[in-house]
Amino acid sequence: MSDQKPPSAPPPFGEVSRRSFLRNSAILASGAAALAASLAPLRELSNYTSVELFLQKHYKELTPAEMQKVLDRIAREVEQQYHIRPRVRDYKPMDGVEFVYCLNLTRCIGCRKCVHACVAENNQSRNPEIQYIRVLKMPHGSLDMERADHNYAPASVPEKGFFYMPVQCQQCKNPPCVKVCPVKATWQEPDGITVIDYDWCIGCRYCEAACPYFARRFNWTKPSIPKERLNPEMSYLGNRPRRQGVMEKCHFCIQRTRQGKYPACLEVCPAGARKFGNALDPESEVAYILKNKRVFIQLKEELGTSPRFFYYFDV
Amino acid sequence: MQFICEMSATVKTNWVLRVLTALFLGLAMAFLCNGWGYSAKLFPIPLVDTNFISTATVRMSAADLIRSGGDTSDFECYACHERNKPFKLKFDAEGDVLVPKEHANIVMGHGRHHRNNNCFNCHDETNLELLQTRDGRHLKISDSPALCGSCHGPTYRDWEAGVHGRTSGYWKRDLGPIDRKVCTSCHNPHSPPFPSRQPAPGPHPLHPAVDGKLIARSES
Amino acid sequence: MSLRTKIRNYFVFLWRCARIAFAGDSRYYAWMGFLSIIILLGINAYAKQFVHGLIVTGMSDQVSWGVYIANFTFMVGIAAAAAMLVIPVYIYNNKELHDLVIFGELLAVAAILMCLAFVAVDLGRPDRFWHLIPGIGKFNFPGSMLSWDVIVLNGYLLLNVHICGYLLYCRYLGKTPAKWFYIPFVFLAIAWAVSIHTVTAFLYVGLGGRPFWNSSIVGPRFLASAFTAGPALIILALQVIRRVTDYHIHDRALLTLRSIVQVSMLINVFLLVNEIFKEFYTRTSHVASSRYLYFGLHGHHALVPWIWVAIIFNLVSMTLLVLPLSKSLRYLNVACVLAITGIWIEKGMGLVVPGFIPTPLGEMVEYSPSLNETLVCLGIWAFGILCYTIFLRMSIPILQGRLSRANEGLPDVHLVNAR
Ligand code: SF4
Ligand code: SF4
Repeated sequence: MSDQKPPSAPPPFGEVSRRSFLRNSAILASGAAALAASLAPLRELSNYTSVELFLQKHYKELTPAEMQKVLDRIAREVEQQYHIRPRVRDYKPMDGVEFVYCLNLTRCIGCRKCVHACVAENNQSRNPEIQYIRVLKMPHGSLDMERADHNYAPASVPEKGFFYMPVQCQQCKNPPCVKVCPVKATWQEPDGITVIDYDWCIGCRYCEAACPYFARRFNWTKPSIPKERLNPEMSYLGNRPRRQGVMEKCHFCIQRTRQGKYPACLEVCPAGARKFGNALDPESEVAYILKNKRVFIQLKEELGTSPRFFYYFDV
Repeated sequence: MQFICEMSATVKTNWVLRVLTALFLGLAMAFLCNGWGYSAKLFPIPLVDTNFISTATVRMSAADLIRSGGDTSDFECYACHERNKPFKLKFDAEGDVLVPKEHANIVMGHGRHHRNNNCFNCHDETNLELLQTRDGRHLKISDSPALCGSCHGPTYRDWEAGVHGRTSGYWKRDLGPIDRKVCTSCHNPHSPPFPSRQPAPGPHPLHPAVDGKLIARSES
Repeated sequence: MSLRTKIRNYFVFLWRCARIAFAGDSRYYAWMGFLSIIILLGINAYAKQFVHGLIVTGMSDQVSWGVYIANFTFMVGIAAAAAMLVIPVYIYNNKELHDLVIFGELLAVAAILMCLAFVAVDLGRPDRFWHLIPGIGKFNFPGSMLSWDVIVLNGYLLLNVHICGYLLYCRYLGKTPAKWFYIPFVFLAIAWAVSIHTVTAFLYVGLGGRPFWNSSIVGPRFLASAFTAGPALIILALQVIRRVTDYHIHDRALLTLRSIVQVSMLINVFLLVNEIFKEFYTRTSHVASSRYLYFGLHGHHALVPWIWVAIIFNLVSMTLLVLPLSKSLRYLNVACVLAITGIWIEKGMGLVVPGFIPTPLGEMVEYSPSLNETLVCLGIWAFGILCYTIFLRMSIPILQGRLSRANEGLPDVHLVNAR
């Protein structure tokens, strides 16, 4: 503990003060240099954002004219990066439509074709790998997911004694992911699809923690898609290429289903285990299933999320 | 000791500052040379075989073959058989039908109890190019669903509703057609169980583990 | 006094505070230099993360939050603990702690700054932070607990900055602070301290799909552990202040804090026992995360040694605290260090990470922080400590009367020989 010394007299001009000046500027300069140098990795930054993107409004606040501009920007960016001119559209929900997915656990053989068809349709990153669908291999008789095998790789499927359960976004009626998002970057559309505005998401990953179905995927780095595998039929809320640091997930192939088509995972399923349609239309396949099949599973029904994804069985 | 303590505070401060200056400069160099490198290394993941994303059915039905102009020689029975000549099936001691060597590609595997062991349960013995149901209807080969449905009632009902079997195209019929596959697009009528197949590759983890140890990518 | 003089005085005050932050003796420079170097390492690591994305961390889709959020959670607790100094002073009129309140609140400010930094580095798109600003962004209030957290944290920051700033400035001017201008805020800050921690607990508790967090005991446990670790940290900080400056702090003050830590620690351990009983006695399928944490699951047990160390630390610390032994500072310090470390592990690695393991689909993917991630964390810790050092550097001369309006213009004594 130092005693209070009387203040030393201010140094006379000359040696000392020049030295202290040199000393101070040296430390300041070296500190500033170190600070500047510490930012050196930023040299590698390319195409991180743009003024237009930075200032872009939330999806729901864009006027049609602004939306057109945004779509043009996206098309331009895709063309610059992949040298392919995409068709980027913003499809609106149809009136009187509520999408429902039904998956027949009796039929699924666990071939994972749906996983890869989804990746191809929705321009998911190939490395690091982003896949919306996880197929679980489960021992007969149990729905305890702790006993699931995610990485099965036998010579052929199905294997005796097991059944297979593909899981993807369940398009909950009461989606916890939407509730927790701090910036409303994800919401439920009138046709039941929970979407993400990839240009609004801040990447906090709260929704990923909230989802009880491991449905959400984060772009941990810049996604990479080989040019020859790019799907040029794109939509704003759907399969347009994403950027680093945002969330994505299954959106029932919004770019297909809002044009009246079936989702990609359904069309590729060799076993016909997947059924999709408008639950409000009594003529639809899904309405038939919900009316005539006896047992459904809504995964983790007890959580009250009320999925629009039903697992069912024949007989 | 006393001396050092008194060694004016300024001198000590000067020393500290000099060392700090040197440290800052060293740090700056290290940053520029990327001393704590993240090498942006990604472990290679092979692109998936396009077979796994093909929407083709596991086999071709007669109707598919006719439509696509494929080889329909299998359905031209009277290229070998003689018309109007009654046909006699042969059975082995267990009561299973003996498949003639001309039809060796046919595996008799329809039904589990040796009961569906007679070609003419489904084929019309009076006209081999037709099918026949148990209630005596005669059907073209390409109309097989009605034949299958004559036994598999509930499945046929599901199929009619689009719920059993494969569909593609449009769920919304006023915007486009639905393409519904038939029974024999997936099931071999002589041996209907759905064939097993090789699964597509499973997921690759973001941070692969080696010997149970995570490789953090930041360590180049 | 005209308004102009008032404004002028205020700016002179700020200027002199800023100057003093850059002046000190060799030890001060060495310390600040050391912290700056760590901060620079952190900035460098963050720059890499900014460019390459969060892939440079150990996190993944399976374990999507890691040490950033863990440290954030812990620091919220430290911040909340400032209230534990304020309560005895203003509610029970405890004179011992009166002046020390400022040190506690400055700690809260530094802790909140760290919290905000930890959240910021965890964002995948930091350029879009403005989407979080009410008014110009799109704020999901009151739906999202994270938006609540943004509000309560910033509110708490402002409250504490106001209280400290006002009290210090009054000291500087040499006038008695107007009660109406800070006492209401002090009481508000007490309630607010509870709220920041409760809201942060609700961040986890509100997730129905994560049974490990979705339990009503998480909130109370958060508070109990915060009110243990916070005052324990203050006990240590006060002793450091006492050692390196000539500011006098009486042992009695430390012992008052001891009794706070004592009670909180007992409650903390009691709640822990409750939780463990509920999980392991009933053995529902929801016990998987706890089993992973305490014993390992399916051959994965990265966290097991950590959590047992934490529990042992907590128990030893509790024992020390209840024994009269800890009236001696040496043992009290041991108890405090053990408590802080124990709670840091338990709160950080022990609360955040196992919530993700196994995943909701039963997959076992473990997590361990990467080097880059660790550097960012160290940088933020150094940043927080640097802030706290600067705050003390400014406030101690003011409290001692060495930096005041009265000696404005005189050569700055404190610049020369204060430490
Ligand atoms: S499954 Fe998950 S991502 Fe999909 S709506 Fe439900 S909570 Fe959201
Ligand atoms: S990651 Fe994006 S979508 Fe998910 S909660 Fe955060 S901001 Fe919302």
